[in-house]
Amino acid sequence: MSDFSGMEDLLQDFLQEAGDLLSDVDNKLVDLERCPDDRRLLNDIFRGFHTIKGGAGFLNATELVTLCHLTENLFDQLRNAQISLTPELMDTIMAATQGVRNMFGELAQTSLPRPAQPEVIAALRAVLEGEIHADPAVAATVDAPIVEVSAQVTSAPNIEVSEGPDWQVLHGALTGQEKPVPATTSSSMAQGQAGDALASSAAQMTPHYPPEGRRETDKPGLAVSGATSGRRSEEKAAARESTIRVDTSRLDQVLNLSGEIGLTKNRLTSLRADILAGRNDSETLHALDQAVSQLDLLVSDLQNSVMKTRMQPIGRLFQKYPRIARDLARQLGKDVELALVGEETEVDKTMIEDLADPLIHLVRNAVDHGVESAEDRLAAGKPAKSIVRLEARQEGDHIVLIIADDGRGMSPERIRLKAIEKGIIKEEEANTLDDRQSLNLIFLPGFSTMAQASAVSGRGVGMDVVKTNIQKLNGSVEIRSEPGKGSVFIISLPLTLAILPVLLVLLGDQPFALPLSMVREILPIEKSKMQEVGGKETLVVRGEILPVVALSRLLGWPQLKTPEYGVLMQTSERSFILSVDSFAGRDDAVIKSLEDFRPRGVAGVTTLSNGQIVLILDMKELLTDLNAHIERETGVRQTKSLERSI
Amino acid sequence: MADPKLRILVVDDFSTMRRIVRNLLKELGFTNVEEAEDGAIALQKLQGGGFEFVVTDWNMPNMDGLQLLQAIRSTPTLKHLPVMMITAEAKKENIIAAAQAGASGYIVKPFTAATLSEKLQKIFDKMGT
Repeated sequence: MSDFSGMEDLLQDFLQEAGDLLSDVDNKLVDLERCPDDRRLLNDIFRGFHTIKGGAGFLNATELVTLCHLTENLFDQLRNAQISLTPELMDTIMAATQGVRNMFGELAQTSLPRPAQPEVIAALRAVLEGEIHADPAVAATVDAPIVEVSAQVTSAPNIEVSEGPDWQVLHGALTGQEKPVPATTSSSMAQGQAGDALASSAAQMTPHYPPEGRRETDKPGLAVSGATSGRRSEEKAAARESTIRVDTSRLDQVLNLSGEIGLTKNRLTSLRADILAGRNDSETLHALDQAVSQLDLLVSDLQNSVMKTRMQPIGRLFQKYPRIARDLARQLGKDVELALVGEETEVDKTMIEDLADPLIHLVRNAVDHGVESAEDRLAAGKPAKSIVRLEARQEGDHIVLIIADDGRGMSPERIRLKAIEKGIIKEEEANTLDDRQSLNLIFLPGFSTMAQASAVSGRGVGMDVVKTNIQKLNGSVEIRSEPGKGSVFIISLPLTLAILPVLLVLLGDQPFALPLSMVREILPIEKSKMQEVGGKETLVVRGEILPVVALSRLLGWPQLKTPEYGVLMQTSERSFILSVDSFAGRDDAVIKSLEDFRPRGVAGVTTLSNGQIVLILDMKELLTDLNAHIERETGVRQTKSLERSI
Repeated sequence: MADPKLRILVVDDFSTMRRIVRNLLKELGFTNVEEAEDGAIALQKLQGGGFEFVVTDWNMPNMDGLQLLQAIRSTPTLKHLPVMMITAEAKKENIIAAAQAGASGYIVKPFTAATLSEKLQKIFDKMGT
C-alpha cells in the first residue's frame, strides 16, 4: 500500500507542476549568481519554494515542508537584504534545491520523503540563526526559524497552533461587530485572549508586533507585486508520461472540425443515395465533387489540429539545462553561461522526451570539450566567460535545434589523426575525407578527442548515441566548426513523427516509400555516364563521385530491367544514388508500425489512396545488411571501404 | 449548509492547489466552481458577474490575494462578495492585514474538508444564509 492511496492523481499533478516550478527555480538560481541583488529573481525563487511548501502540506510530506520552509525563509532574508548572497550560501541553496528534487524522486516512488540531509538543514538553520545573533538590531525584525516559533507558541499558548489565531474572534475584535466568545473552556479562553491581544496590537498597527516581528512571507505589496515571473501556463506544465495537458482551445478546434466532418459525411451519404438511385446529372456530380473537396480540406485541418494537441513548448526541456551547464562549468572551473533561445518553439511531446538525453550530452560536451579554460580563453583574446547557446526554431516543416559554443572549435586534421590512431579508419580512407566528413567522424562509436577522458563526457560513448537517437526521430545532425571560434551542432527534426513525407518509387509495379528527408534530388541514369570505380558502379554528380546502388539489389530481388532513375539519397554522412525503375510521386504517409512482425529494412507501412499497402524502407538497415552480405562474399577488407563510401 | 449551486471562484497560481481546493469543495457538495490563475485574471472573471463566493490564495504573481481582496472591496458591484483567504502560514500580521482589508474568512494550508466546511459555515452564518 503506498502512502498516497486515493491521492495518486493529485500526487502526479503535484510532481508535474512542482517539478516544473523547481526547474524554473533552478534556472533563476543560475541567473541569481550573476545578479545577486535582483529583487524580482529573489521574489520569484521565494515564491517557488513557498508554493511547493503549500502543496507538500496537503500531501503530508512534512520533511519537504520543512526543507522548503527553511529555504523560503532564507530567501525572505535575502530579498529583505538582511543577509547577502555569498558563494558558500549559494552552495547551500543549491544543496537545498537538490534536496527538494530528491524528495520529489521519493514522492514519485509514492513514498513519503525522508528527512533532508542533516548537513543541509544545519547549514540552512545556521544561516538563518547566524544572522539573528549577528545583528541584534536586525534580529528584532527577522523571522526566527520555524522551531523557535513553535517553541514560543507552546510556551505561551495564547494562539491555536494548528489553525492559527481564531478568525471569528479576531475579526470580531477588529470590526467591533462581535464580542469575543465567552470563555468556557481553557482553549476558547486562550482564543479570547489571543483575540484581545491581537486586537490591541492591531490597533497599534503591525510593525511593532512581537514576537515574530516583521515577516514578508505572505505580506503583499512590496514583496510580491513586483514579480512578473513568466506565468507557468497550463501548456508549459505538460505531462511527462502517459498524460498530456492540452490548451482547451485546441481541443475545441478538434471538436469543431470533427463536427464539420460529420456534417460533410451526412452530405455524402445523401449524395450516395441519390447516385445509387440513378441520379448522375451534372448537378449531383458537382455536389459530390464539392463535398469530397470539403472533406479533404477538413481532414487535413483535423490532422493538423490533432497534431497540435501533442505539441509542447521545448522550453520545458531547455529549462533543465542551465543548471546542468552551471554545475558542470563550476566543477571544471570554467565560467559558462547557457543562453536559451526560442523556448516557445513547439515540438511533438514524444520528441521532447527523446531529445532530453541527446541534448544533455551535447550541452555537456560543449561545456566540457568545446569551451576552453578561462586562462586559455584570455590568452586567446576572448572574454573569460563563455556563452553556449541552445536554440530552437521552426523552419518550414522542420524543427531546428542548435547548440553553439564560442570555444576552441574542432580541427578536422586532428580529428582525422585521432580516428586513425584509434583504428576507427585507415589512413588512406582518412585522406579521402573532406573537412565536413572529418568532423562527422566524432559520431563514430569509440571516438573521443580529449587526450584524457574527463569524468563528465569523454568516455567515447555518447556522440554516436546522440546521432543514433536523433536518427530514430527521423532527424539529422550537422556539425560546423571553426578552430578558435567555436563549434555548432545543428539538429534538424521533422515536426511530427506521426506523418512522414515520403517519395514513392517503383520497382516493376511494386511501389516502395522512401523518407523524403533523405532524398536530395532525383536524376536520370544514363548508362553512358556510369563509371566503374573499384568494381562498383558510380556516377559523377557535380564533381562528386557517388556510388550507385540498385534498389533491387538492396532488397535481394532479381533485376528485371535497367533502372532509369536515380534517387540521390543522403544519410548523415554518406551519400549514394539509389537506382529505381520509376516513380509514383510523393505522399504524406501515415505510418502504421509493424510492432510484432517487423522485417529487417522495413520502417513501417502505409496505405495509398487506392488502398494498396506500401512498405516504408529503412535505408540504414538495408545498407547495413547489404554490407554484411558483401562482407560474407568478399571478406572484411573491402567491406570497410564500402561502408565508408556507401 | 449553503446552496450547493453557489458559484465559487477559486484563485491560485498553482494548478495542483486549485484542484485540491476544488476537490475539497466538491466533497462538501459545491460543484459550481471556476478557477483563476492569479488576482488579475480573477478580477476580470468576477467583473463578468455571476460569482457568489471567492476562495483565494495569498501569494501569487501579478496580483496577489490581498490586492485582489482590496480590489473587490473597492468595486461597488463586487464589494459584498464573501472572500476567504488561503495562506501557508498562520501569521498574525497576515491575518490582521486580511481582516483590515475586509476578508470574510481565513484558512491555513494544509486543511481538510472538515476544516474548510467549518470555516465556510462561519461565513455563511454571518451572511445569514
